[in-house]
Amino acid sequence: MTQLSPHFFGSLLVPVGQTIGMACAGMLLALVIGIPLAIAVATRAPGARAIAAGLSALRAIPDLTLAILAVVLLGLGPAAGIAALAVFYTAMVGKVSAELLLAAPVPPVDALRATGSGRVGLATFGLIPAMLPDLLSFGMYAFECAMRASIIVGAVGAGGIGTELVGAINALDYARAAAIIVVLVALIAAVDTFGIAVRRYPRTGFVLLAIGVLTLWIDRPQLFALSHAFVTFAKMLPPQLSLPELGALPRLLWETAAIAVVGTALGALLGFAFGLVCARNIVPFAVVALVRRVLDTARAIPEVVWGLILVVSVGIGPLAGILALGLHSGGVLGKLYAEAFENVDRPPVLSIAATGASKLSTVGFAIVPLAWRTLGVHTLFRLEWNVRAAAVVGMIGAGGIGQALFLSQQLFFYKAMAAYVLITWAIVLAFDAFGERARAARLSAEGGRPRRRSGRTRARSRTRSSDRSLCDGSAGTGRFRERPPFEGRAAPSASARRSGARKSRRSASRSMPPNASARYPSRRRTSPVPRAP
Amino acid sequence: MIVLDEVVVRYPGAQRPAVDGASLLVKTGESVALVGPSGSGKTTLLRAINRLVPITSGTILVDGVAVESLQDKALRALRTRLAMIAQHHDLVDRLRVHQNVMAGALGRWSSLHALRYLAFPLRGELDEARNALARVGIAEKLRAPTSALSGGERQRVAIARALVQQPHAILADEPIASLDPELAEQIVALLTTLAKESGIALICSLHQVQFADRYFDQIVRLEGGRLERLKSSVA
Ligand SMILES: Nc1ncnc2c1ncn2[C@@H]1O[C@H](COP(=O)(O)OP(=O)(O)OP(=O)(O)O)[C@@H](O)[C@H]1O
Ligand SMILES: [Mg+2]
Repeated sequence: MTQLSPHFFGSLLVPVGQTIGMACAGMLLALVIGIPLAIAVATRAPGARAIAAGLSALRAIPDLTLAILAVVLLGLGPAAGIAALAVFYTAMVGKVSAELLLAAPVPPVDALRATGSGRVGLATFGLIPAMLPDLLSFGMYAFECAMRASIIVGAVGAGGIGTELVGAINALDYARAAAIIVVLVALIAAVDTFGIAVRRYPRTGFVLLAIGVLTLWIDRPQLFALSHAFVTFAKMLPPQLSLPELGALPRLLWETAAIAVVGTALGALLGFAFGLVCARNIVPFAVVALVRRVLDTARAIPEVVWGLILVVSVGIGPLAGILALGLHSGGVLGKLYAEAFENVDRPPVLSIAATGASKLSTVGFAIVPLAWRTLGVHTLFRLEWNVRAAAVVGMIGAGGIGQALFLSQQLFFYKAMAAYVLITWAIVLAFDAFGERARAARLSAEGGRPRRRSGRTRARSRTRSSDRSLCDGSAGTGRFRERPPFEGRAAPSASARRSGARKSRRSASRSMPPNASARYPSRRRTSPVPRAP
Repeated sequence: MIVLDEVVVRYPGAQRPAVDGASLLVKTGESVALVGPSGSGKTTLLRAINRLVPITSGTILVDGVAVESLQDKALRALRTRLAMIAQHHDLVDRLRVHQNVMAGALGRWSSLHALRYLAFPLRGELDEARNALARVGIAEKLRAPTSALSGGERQRVAIARALVQQPHAILADEPIASLDPELAEQIVALLTTLAKESGIALICSLHQVQFADRYFDQIVRLEGGRLERLKSSVA
């Protein structure tokens, strides 16, 4: 394996550096643009509603779709990656920070307002200090997501290790491709570790910003080649599809939907099987530890990278997409399902075990039925995420609308390409809305039923689909990881203040009824009962 | 037959034992009421008998076998013979009533049999569930979702599950808490009659003492973990 020589790893230093640099620079821009927007929304500046709506809408464009647009406008290379990440994460940072700032405690802020303080004063002296821990925690989570995204935007030529991987695959150099994937998984693991360090010593975070500034400086010629960008942009207008392209559209949409649905189903099956053998209340710890490693790896490899691997092995087409989504989702769902199994109410399980039931019977009669609802919630969220993913894996040859988008870009059919981008956007928006409604329907269907033993049942959590689809839930460490990202913001004091007077005012931004979230168990209940053998 | 000899149960980290030197003899067909204030150790004592809680010292004999020594298969066999009706009659809400009832048969079924039953219950098995439910008077709830039952109905499903278990003994933890007095008496009557008729040893913890005297052969009182005899069997 000459590919694994020091020289080989040396040759990867530049792309790895580019990947990290793109993530840092993209996040830097996102912070610089997103935070002021968030402040504007949180202080209800004129146009706040429009800004908030714009940010939400922007977030529905998948990162890889943005990347392909950026590659067209700015040319191949890291500048395109930076631009795509900057746009994607501006939307995320802006929206989420605004929600965090809106959750700040009322009295101190009102006191400030009483001093006649303006918006900036209000934000810098009142809102931001109050929410700083949450903001930092979220910032780190966002960075971890950006890091993953930075790897995958490379797949369409936006620079970094992703581009290197596609290059190796196109050159049929599979040994090199395999080695790059190893490096890539190591990189993701390193980012997770670094994330823990930053949470402990927040100042190390400035290193990231410094890297960001440096990368921006290096890529400045390409980033600010605005005239070229404008000329190319003009070529995309108006977005339109030729007749044959229109004729093929239903099949493409169908293919994308099928990839999402079948991929999710496959992920759910895998997740169910692996989740059972990785729940601590079902199998011995040694098995749990082993299976967790397997799931961690499946999850650490993004769908797009799975797609690249699979396109090589099963060929171009929807099957590769389905398998890619299935494997990644299997990793994500396996972990979530296992947690759901571990978190079931203990007394009913004990009462089944007390009949002398075997382990497997106890699983069938108690653990699985008790966790069923939670499994459903996780699966629905994953389906929603996978609609995005399905649109995106197409771009690396896994069928559906993404593939059409990628082909039109390769052939310089920019008007068609713009049309496909709009269609992708519409699909994601539609599915997000659909998911939101499905959840609301589920909740109101359950809402009326009295719940027994509500006191000791579920840890509260709040989550909304949009919050979960920030990143795909597979990223991150610490507060934003274990649970749906959004719940992480509730510091103990925050949850206390949340239930206060502010609730009604904020209910517009948090449309979920309080008991709804109770369906989403997340914290482990520790039972003081000594484990029965 | 259940024999308790100087049983002590101390939870890890607890200052004093939850059960402190309890001795008791329950013959087959005999019913014992276990009364005492909240926190006196009733639940703990019952759970110790089928080893859901390990005992610190003393001996518990069930049909002449010391439960502390049992492991895995033998422990499962013991639990199969002891039906437990938990304080909150912990049924699995998501299952149908008949599935909860037939959970009582899990001790004698293989795992595969159990999983097959979840998907495809056979007529004979459903009949068994229906018979058990008929004995507690709610045969018509056979296929109802468990979550739709009232408190009293849930209680009776838990008893039906215990019956399906064909146990040598029933350990019932406050089976009538939160029931109206009429229903409470019905359930107590049902349990004690079943015990007598089927030769089952019954230990039943209660908050109220009202009808204990009328229905139970023995009455013992727990207070701060210590056991005191209020009524002994004549024999
Ligand atoms: N899992 C446990 N870990 C530690 N201590 C416990 C545990 N369960 C019960 N205890 C303690 O042991 C004592 C006896 O509790 P137990 O549940 O047996 O009482 P009880 O008589 O059943 O009360 P109640 O009538 O309220 O059900 C109490 O002081 C209780 O706090
Ligand atoms: Mg009790």
